[in-house]
Parts: sequence; C-alpha cells; structure tokens
Amino acid sequence: MSVPASTGAVYDRGYRPYDGPRGGRRAATAALFRTSLRRAIGLRRPWRQKVAPAILLAIAVVPAVINVGVGYLTRGTPAEGFEFITYREYLGVSSALLLFVALVAPDLVCPDRRQRVLPLIFARPLTGRDYALAKVGAIFTCVFAFSFLPQVVLYVGQMLVSDGALDYLVDNTAVLWQVPIAAALLALFYAGLGVAVASLSGRRMVAGATMLGITLVSSTVSAILIQADGGSVPGSDGHAAALVNILALPLQVRDLVFLGRIHEDSPLSGVSGGGGLAVAAYTAVVAVCLAVILGRYRSVET
Amino acid sequence: MPSIVRARGLTKRYPGVTALDGVDLDLPAGRVGLVGANGAGKTTLFRLLLGLSRPDAGTVEVCGMAVADDPIGVRSRIGYMPEHDCLPLDQTAADVVATFGELGGLPVRAARQRASEVLDLVGLDEARFRPVGGFSTGMRQRTKLAQAIVADPKLVLLDEPTAGLDPSGREEMLALVDRLGSFGIAVVLATHLLDDVARVCDHVVMLDGGRLVTDAPTEKLLHQTGTVTVDVGPASVQALAGALTARGLAVSTDDIGTLEVTVSGDADLDTVRDVVADMSLPLHRLTNRLTSLDDVFVHRAPVQ
Repeated sequence: MSVPASTGAVYDRGYRPYDGPRGGRRAATAALFRTSLRRAIGLRRPWRQKVAPAILLAIAVVPAVINVGVGYLTRGTPAEGFEFITYREYLGVSSALLLFVALVAPDLVCPDRRQRVLPLIFARPLTGRDYALAKVGAIFTCVFAFSFLPQVVLYVGQMLVSDGALDYLVDNTAVLWQVPIAAALLALFYAGLGVAVASLSGRRMVAGATMLGITLVSSTVSAILIQADGGSVPGSDGHAAALVNILALPLQVRDLVFLGRIHEDSPLSGVSGGGGLAVAAYTAVVAVCLAVILGRYRSVET
Repeated sequence: MPSIVRARGLTKRYPGVTALDGVDLDLPAGRVGLVGANGAGKTTLFRLLLGLSRPDAGTVEVCGMAVADDPIGVRSRIGYMPEHDCLPLDQTAADVVATFGELGGLPVRAARQRASEVLDLVGLDEARFRPVGGFSTGMRQRTKLAQAIVADPKLVLLDEPTAGLDPSGREEMLALVDRLGSFGIAVVLATHLLDDVARVCDHVVMLDGGRLVTDAPTEKLLHQTGTVTVDVGPASVQALAGALTARGLAVSTDDIGTLEVTVSGDADLDTVRDVVADMSLPLHRLTNRLTSLDDVFVHRAPVQ
C-alpha cells in the first residue's frame, strides 16, 4: 500500500516586528475609553452583562414612544397637542439611571484594582489622569446617550406627528441646545459621583451599595431637615436644606437650563439666590468627585 | 553591544529602608538576568525604569531616553510582565492582549492581529477565546508574556516569569524568554532562581540590599573550575575512582553517585575517557563543572 504524499506543512510563523503607525498617550487614553465603553454596554461580554444597558435603554425610550403614539392617535381630535411629558421632565433622575450607574461604574473601576490590573495599565503610555478621564468619559457617554437618545426619539416623533413639521421645529428650537447641555450636566454629575465612589473600593457590591446609600441618605437627610424646620410647600419660601439632596442637584441645574430659574415644585424654589446656590453645590460636588478620582489614581500611579 | 538601560548613582529610599543605593548599571541589549533575594531592589528598579517612581538621586536612561524627562515615551517602548496576577479574569485572552496592544499605541486592527499572532507564539492559539479566569497558572503566565510583547517593545521587563510553574511549564516559559532575544527584543529577567538566569541570560546583574553586587556577562561568571563531572552509574563509581586514582588523578565522589575529577589539560581528559573505555563502563555524562551563579551569589562582594 502506498503512503499518500503529505499535502500539509507546519510553519513556525515566528515573530514579526511591528513597523506600522503607533499612537502615544492620547491613543492609549482613547483605547482605554473604548474598552470601558464596550464593557459598560456589554459588548464582547456574556448576555447577562448586556441586560442592564438594554433594560435601561428600553425604560428610557418607552415614555417617548408613548408620547409620540398618543400624539399620533389624537391627531385631528380635541386632545391634539396633548403632552404627558415635557422635554424638561423627561430629562431627569430615574431609578433605572441611578441603578445603571451604581452597577456600571463599579464594574468599570473596581476589577482593575481588585484584580491588580492597574500596575499593568500604568506601565503603558498613560497617566492616572488619563485613566480617570477614560473611565469618567465612558460613564459620561453612556449616561448622556441614555438621556439624549430618548429625547431625540421624542423630538423627531413629535415633529412627524405634528401638523407642520417645520412649525414644530421652529417652535421648539430652544430644546435643541437645552437638551444636550442639560443631558451633559446630568451625565457629568453621575459619572463623577459613580467613578469617585467606585474608586474608593475594590469590591463592586460595596461600591454600588455605597453609591445608592449616599443618594438615599442625602435625600432623606434633606427631607428631615426641611420638615424639622417647618417644611416647604410649593409656592411658599423654599428651604436651603434642599441642597443637601445630592440626587436632586442635577435637577435644579436642569431647571436652570430649561427655565432659567428653579422650578416652583422644587423645595429650593423661593430661596433667595437658590439658582446660584444650586450651581455652586453642583460644582462643588463634581469638583470633589473629580479631586477624589484624580487623587486615587495619582497615588496608584506613583 | 549598546546599552539598553543606563543608570548612574540610582538611589531610591522609602521610609526606613534604602531600596536602591547608588546603583550604576549598563545593561546590554540582550537577555539580562536581574538576580536578588526578596527585597533586593528588583521591583523598585523596574518601577524606576517604567517611570512609575522617581529616584531620590541619580539618573536612569532606557533606550537612550531619560526616564525623568519622558516617562510616557519610555513606557511606549517597554513591555512589562508583573510577577503577581494582573489579568482581567472575565475577558478572553484575545481581548486582554488586544486591549493592551491598543494601550501600547497600536491601532485597533493591528492590535487584534498582533494579539492573535503573539498568542499563537506563546502557545495559546486554541485557548485565546476562553476567559482568562479559567486558565491554569501556566496559561496565565503565557498571557502575561503575550500582553508584554504585543506592542513590539524594544525592552521587556519580566518579573519572575517562571513563578508558580510546574517543571514543564517552566521549561516552556524559559524557551519563550530565550526566543525573545532572537526577535530583537531586549529582556530584563528579574528572578531569584539562579538556574533560570544561567539558562537564558547573556548578562547577569545581582542586587543585594539595594546595592549592586555583580554586573557582568554570564560566561565570565560561569568560568570553568578545572574539574570534570563523570557519571558512570552508582554501581561502578568506586571501581572507576580507584582506577583513576591509580593513574594519578585527584578524585572525589559526591552523594549522588558521580565523580569529580580534577584535570589540568586535555591529556587528563583523555585518561578519563580511556579508563572508562578500558573498564567497559557506561558513560552517562562527562562535563566540565562550571562555577554556578549560586557560588557567585554566595561569595558575592559589592562591585566597587
């Protein structure tokens, strides 16, 4: 019996030096941002990791779809033009968004510390500041997208179901700058707070619970202080203790963007210089969060 | 050979301890073994080379660049494999290595392509789509090596690459380290296993208590001792020892059944060969005994 001639061969491909383009610090930061963003929205991860962002997006878009659907169904009826949600109200704090940040921020940050990946990352051409920028940027992008995209759905949908698309566009030009600015401020607040809290722990559960705890405790303390001082009702003089409620701070700033003043439903409404105080408190919280983040990663780097 | 690392008066102090004390180094662009006990200053030296720590005194250059002036530029030319576990456990090996390729400055497509190539090179081609968390110690060490070389560094710093490996895993890792030199990548191998250094390194640097003990080519340290080791099996050792002594050679036996014969030249070596042949003994081994790195380390004296 003849042995068939071998048609295969084994090659040792060896090692090929790389002589193509090579980025520096900015490219490394962008790479870390991309990786973090992919991780946040569950790309290249098991299906379980895709559930949270998918649910959040669904929850975020549903009100817009309903609003547009109602608008479509009530065309030509006395109820035409009814809006059960406004752009200002639509852009705000939701339990789903808070839960999302409490889940995702620790997931992006804590494993790097717990699994000791940080020394490996900082052996690459980037600094602690770049690391912080990439991580905060990834959360910011997620929160911004999940806040902004539903508004786009709402805007485009309302425009299409209205009698005159061009008229709707002209009548609502203000939201074209108000929505992205307010969404960016909301996203910056959440991203800063989420990453700052997560940077203090190596355990995801602890960081997530701490994030939720801080917001819960601050809103409870704020409510107790307001009640202890006689409370505040809409239309009456407000109470500066409303500033203690960390969760409501981005809402006060949102109102300033949309209305130019604190909304009368807010416990801060009626407080002299309430708008300025809200901006100052918002800025202080964001600044403290960024300082915590930079401090944490500067110490790791060196 | 040009220096890949050059240090002058390198000193690093931590509260209560001097980790490096005025170290002068000129490491050639080959495979360099950095030897020292725990606390000798190896990891501190790596941190200084990576620009992750600033020296209290002295200067250090890597690839001709002053680390103090451009730590980011230096890091883009260095690959680093830490001793400890450092891999994201829920990611696949391909994703981990590609990510660190991108962090090293490679474009996305090039990073993924090179990740595939280097994982193939380290023997993880079939496991590259499995999460690192399910890997054995040996596979994790290979993944760490792959991420260190994926961006094609000029210099790679390997911290205890054979730690925790079984004998076959250790052999394979040393073979990989040995090959890095032929790829044009300079290697600094930090270890406390002197055998590893003797096996794969062309140059040896010994640190002890933050001070430089030895900085020399390996072959200079492992000089011949004028003694040959003869192994003819335990049953014939005594008979051979008697025959060689009768021929005027100084002989000693060791506890593993081999002979140590003092030779002064080729004539003595011929005598050993002839006696073994005349007695029809099975000659398992006839080797020059070299000074081991252990000998050098034990009898060390600081470099002046």
